[in-house]
Amino acid sequence: MAEIEVRDIRHVYDAGTADETVAIDDVDLTLQDGTANALLGPSGCGKTTLLQIISGLLQPTEGQVLIDGEDVTAKPPAERDIAQVFQFPVIYDSMDVYGNLAFPLRNGGVPEAEIEERIQKIADLLELNDILHSSPSNLGPELNQLVALGRGIIRADTSAILFDEPMTDVEPARKLTIRRRVKEAQKEFDITALYVTHDQHEALTFAEKVAIMRDGRLVQYDTGENLYENPVNTFIGHFIGSPGMNLLGCGLTKENGAPHAQIGPHAISVSDDIHHAMDLSWTDCHIGIRPSSVTVQVADPQDDTHYIPATVSQVEMVGGYQILTARLDDTDVEVKARVAHDYMIDEDVSIWLRFPPDTIQFFHEEEAVHAP
Amino acid sequence: MKQRPWLFLLPALLLVSISAFIPLITVMNYSQLTLLPGTEPYFSGLENFVAILEDEAFRAALGRQVIFSFLVLITEIPLGLGLAMAMPKEGPGVGLSLVLLGIPLLIPWNVVGIIWRVFTRSDIGVLPAAFDWFGYSYEISSSTFDAWWTVLAMDIWHWTPLVVLICYAGIQAIPEEYYMAAKIDRASPWKTFRYVTLPNLRGVLIIAVLLRLMDSFKIYAEPFVLTGGGPGSSTTFLSTYTSRMAIGGFQMGRGAATSLIYFFIVILISFVIYIVMLNLGQGAGGDQ
Repeated sequence: MAEIEVRDIRHVYDAGTADETVAIDDVDLTLQDGTANALLGPSGCGKTTLLQIISGLLQPTEGQVLIDGEDVTAKPPAERDIAQVFQFPVIYDSMDVYGNLAFPLRNGGVPEAEIEERIQKIADLLELNDILHSSPSNLGPELNQLVALGRGIIRADTSAILFDEPMTDVEPARKLTIRRRVKEAQKEFDITALYVTHDQHEALTFAEKVAIMRDGRLVQYDTGENLYENPVNTFIGHFIGSPGMNLLGCGLTKENGAPHAQIGPHAISVSDDIHHAMDLSWTDCHIGIRPSSVTVQVADPQDDTHYIPATVSQVEMVGGYQILTARLDDTDVEVKARVAHDYMIDEDVSIWLRFPPDTIQFFHEEEAVHAP
Repeated sequence: MKQRPWLFLLPALLLVSISAFIPLITVMNYSQLTLLPGTEPYFSGLENFVAILEDEAFRAALGRQVIFSFLVLITEIPLGLGLAMAMPKEGPGVGLSLVLLGIPLLIPWNVVGIIWRVFTRSDIGVLPAAFDWFGYSYEISSSTFDAWWTVLAMDIWHWTPLVVLICYAGIQAIPEEYYMAAKIDRASPWKTFRYVTLPNLRGVLIIAVLLRLMDSFKIYAEPFVLTGGGPGSSTTFLSTYTSRMAIGGFQMGRGAATSLIYFFIVILISFVIYIVMLNLGQGAGGDQ
């Protein structure tokens, strides 16, 4: 149970050779004591590298790792009291489940009576009681991953636990159960957790706060709600949500003395806050709107200028709702909108779309624009 | 044409029957005949087997054979595993080590015998000269002890590289995450070896042990060239005994019976070792 902080971390693989790659650059992150956090990002963005730097399996090229304010950058993993659960279940299969759980304690010289007590507690929590004396090779990857998790949290002095895409080998149908037990364990022990994944659904359901990385840099560390509602840039907007935010390239024009977003012949009003922050000299602007915020209308709204005419190009049924893709008339801009599953709509039909101003985000040079 | 798959198997079946089945059946046939030069063969049942099992020379050769194979296994397997673990995992050292290890494996058996024969000759050999310098009188042709350890050393030199290569391939295949987990779990180097390296090499070690067991049990050309089975019969192993019986003694029936007993012993020991190793440490209790 501890606060984990990484400061100005930079990591370069194969430094000084032709294969030199900067895996992580300029990363600052503080995980508060006892919180569940996720580290999310596309494959190859440096998530696993950051994880290994925190657990001490890798030495960062630059920067520091602090646990409860103490600099542990130079310490080996064994002295950091950080547990790690790997992508596939790492199990000592020459020992039974009990032996696996006892392993880190025995290595630390904990008396057998205390080990037994501790194992009982963990087995109750993770529901491993029935298999304590089974050989791991007879258990499936799901149970083995739980055993690996148990081995991580068995030590009373574990200060944090890191998960490196732990659901990779788990069957989709069992993910929910496993995730629930992982979450319960985290809460029960009030343990600081960092969960690496490229699946936003996993990240958002597990964590209170999610850190999103891209190309070795930390882009945003925030609550799921904020990531969804207030993305700091177009990458987050597009990355979070399924489908992601609509990002529509636009120009700026002046209408009635105030700047407006302009897509082809269509003028789009934005909220007053954004509109005060805009500068007519800007180029490279995008408006962002969630598919669920777009209002769709089939009947011609006549003179209501808030509606933009469009033509449906694709309709997809996604479980309880439909995602339709429509092209704004006289432009080549496509917009996705979410409508109810029984909404009657066909491809090539003319519709009208409205972007409610208070749901619109505005991005200048990919960065979100806020009130001045 | 349901028989078509059999047509594809036919060449292999033919080859195997010519090289294995037919000789084996022939040997089984011979083993129950009394075959002496110049006389008509006649059926004598199990007489050959009884005679061999009662032969002191056979029992002595079998005893030597078991001791030899045992010594080969307890030296070559740990040594090979140790060398494999010490080998570099990446960089230019890998290629160099592999080539150096490959050299003894590329030399034909009888050439190995000849190399060591020259190496140990009392007149021009380097080994006796070197021992002489240390004040030890090395005599391969008269000292049982010297002959024994030289045959053993020759086998270790020739075949340990095979164990190294097999183990090295096995070590390379162990996912790095196991070692990371062991570090996080505060495992000592010994425990990391005991609970990570060794269990993950179980399959590979079974193969190495079986290969070395069977090959060492069948050893023939090298000691034959190096010592000729001597001094006396101190380095006469089962294969030397068998060939003497069959070819040297013109007792083809006895030779055939010896071969079958020999064959049976090799299969039996291999099977027992295979079963034991397969179950060794497999999910064994929570003990340390």
